[in-house]
Amino acid sequence: MDITILGSQIIGIIPLGDIVFYFTQFNLFMFATALAFTAIIAISKTETQVEAEFGKLGDRAVTVAKKEFKIRRFLAIICGLATAGAMITGDLFDFTLFVCLTGIVNIGIVGAVRQVDVLDAAYQYGLIAMMASLPLFGGAALILAATGTISLLAINTLAYTTPMMILGSILLFIGVAGETGVAPFFATKAEMFRTPGSPFLLIIHLSSLLILVRLIEILLIINKPF
Amino acid sequence: MKSIGRLWNSLANPDRIPRLFALILGIVLIAGLFIPLALDNQQLYPRPAPQEQINAQDPLAPYDRGGTPFVERGIVKAQYPQYAPAIGEITAYLSPIAISVKNTTLYYGTSIYSSPGGLIDEILYYTRGFDTVLESSILMMAFVIASWIALNFTMRRDDD
Repeated sequence: MDITILGSQIIGIIPLGDIVFYFTQFNLFMFATALAFTAIIAISKTETQVEAEFGKLGDRAVTVAKKEFKIRRFLAIICGLATAGAMITGDLFDFTLFVCLTGIVNIGIVGAVRQVDVLDAAYQYGLIAMMASLPLFGGAALILAATGTISLLAINTLAYTTPMMILGSILLFIGVAGETGVAPFFATKAEMFRTPGSPFLLIIHLSSLLILVRLIEILLIINKPF
Repeated sequence: MKSIGRLWNSLANPDRIPRLFALILGIVLIAGLFIPLALDNQQLYPRPAPQEQINAQDPLAPYDRGGTPFVERGIVKAQYPQYAPAIGEITAYLSPIAISVKNTTLYYGTSIYSSPGGLIDEILYYTRGFDTVLESSILMMAFVIASWIALNFTMRRDDD
């Protein structure tokens, strides 16, 4: 392995036909973080809020029904696995599919909360995620048309950058921002992070953060500004 | 300073975010019309010229890649041929039903039943098989979420 991507050596690859997963120190760390957080989520219990009752001295515990808790945990685990996959994939179209999976699972996590404000925010988020699939896949398609390949390892060896690749990169950025980037905004607006059953919702924050970092790496590979 | 604060406050309303997003996307798409088209001629997944196979009255059009199963390889390209040693060997396989349909109509290649057991698309199932797995999982998660919400109405708005 004598290929270098952005200055870091490739430690190993997992070839699945044309789709090659590759490991560098950088994305291996993010992959391990996503998997570790997913494991913590899989074994953690839901948060219970204690509210003071008005006019009395008693406290009231607000818990989440097990049914609701189970679907949210399931979706959070899928979200974590999709994020981990997006960290190591060496194929642009595969990356967009992982982002799309994260986005749709995020809608599910936000939509499975029994509060009207949260559901209103989830509806708006769903609208954005639907709009964002156009620039997401369109950007990947433009990069395929401009370079002739969607393997990041092959794009890394190209010596040129055309205006169409830059347009594709901008569209890709808008698409990823719409699919996962705005999810924490809606979750925070709906004040979901302090509601009962909240720890699973933190995967929304973690996935959007990791995917944006990885997207910036991919954009640097495609556009080679240095 | 006060107007910036008012701007942030107006953005804090979730209803406005999809409109803002659509506006930005529209501006970028319109700006994209002025970008010069520079297509690469050495495409990874080449296609025959449009209408070429249809004009040749080929019932497998536009998916005819030639070859005989396990005897002669069809034309399928891969980014990394070293990871796909058996490429092109079964791309021409047709099931008995597919052969009978192919003999009755000229439009077999464009019909929906041409995929399972008919024209095996090696790009879908062999060289880029993981994409197909991911696509079906996206669809499955969408159905899981939709059916969960349909079964346990997340919120009955009339009661609220």
